[in-house]
Amino acid sequence: MSFYKIAGLKVRMETFGRTLKQAEIYRCEPFEDADIVVQPRPEHYDCFPRFSDDDSEYMLTGSDFFRKLLAFDAMMLHSSAVMMDGRAYLFSAPSGTGKSTHTKLWISTFGEDKAQIINDDKPVLRQEDGAWYAYGSPWSGKSTTSLNVRVPVGGICVLRRGEKNHIERYEGTKAVFAIMDQTMRGTNVQFRTNLLRLVGSIVEKVPIYEMHCNMEPEAALLSHSVMSGNL
Amino acid sequence: MRIKDGFILRQMAGSTVVIPSGTDLDLNMMITLNDTGRFLWERMQTETDVDTLTAEVLEVYDIDEESARGYIEKFAAKLKELDFLA
Repeated sequence: MSFYKIAGLKVRMETFGRTLKQAEIYRCEPFEDADIVVQPRPEHYDCFPRFSDDDSEYMLTGSDFFRKLLAFDAMMLHSSAVMMDGRAYLFSAPSGTGKSTHTKLWISTFGEDKAQIINDDKPVLRQEDGAWYAYGSPWSGKSTTSLNVRVPVGGICVLRRGEKNHIERYEGTKAVFAIMDQTMRGTNVQFRTNLLRLVGSIVEKVPIYEMHCNMEPEAALLSHSVMSGNL
Repeated sequence: MRIKDGFILRQMAGSTVVIPSGTDLDLNMMITLNDTGRFLWERMQTETDVDTLTAEVLEVYDIDEESARGYIEKFAAKLKELDFLA
């Protein structure tokens, strides 16, 4: 058996290929009672006819893990998470919008010693003692840059492509829709009840923004100054 | 008319957010209710009709009958369009 500690939880998982490789930094000492056991489901590889077995395994283990996370006040947010000055900033958007491009801009603008990518695709948000933390996860997309860290969340920003840079706080339930749009929504009552409870807490406690941005360094300077409160 | 079972309601960001369960969740099926919407939603958990709802709304809200009826019909039509009615 292989033992991991992901998002502060004891996780057992037998896997291979890129999932095994990307989970390597989360390995830990053996434990008795797992919080989450990720079930191998090779019979579902057919669900992804255009994917290799390796990629199907990556998708299936991810969805099993993220589904089981909710019982621990934690959820996945499809986003690129960057940390700077002890805070995590998550940039969320549909695939192809430029999440990774934007967080890479942070690295090039502020330097690798100041800003680091926590996870480039599916970081975990977890509520502990009433506050929200971002964690890395093995499901970091094509990027293998992933950090096994726990960082207080400074803000979440939904990215849209724009010619000019503009950022503003989401008001009211718009933030709820924005978060729901980029997480796993499950099907059953228990899952969705937990999901709404968690999203409700996130929008109450974490500032959520929407940003239209281009790919110039000014975009990183703007999102950082607004989200870190250093206007 | 009556609302189907299996919806999850949660008060957040100043509104009541409603999602169905048991199906893939298209975000078009996630709706928000204001106070009046929530009032109607609760009364539509059991079989009712526009006349009954109108009378109930008039008891609680300071609104004329025609406006109340129009609002309720619009609300019910929206729920029907979403396939939320049993």
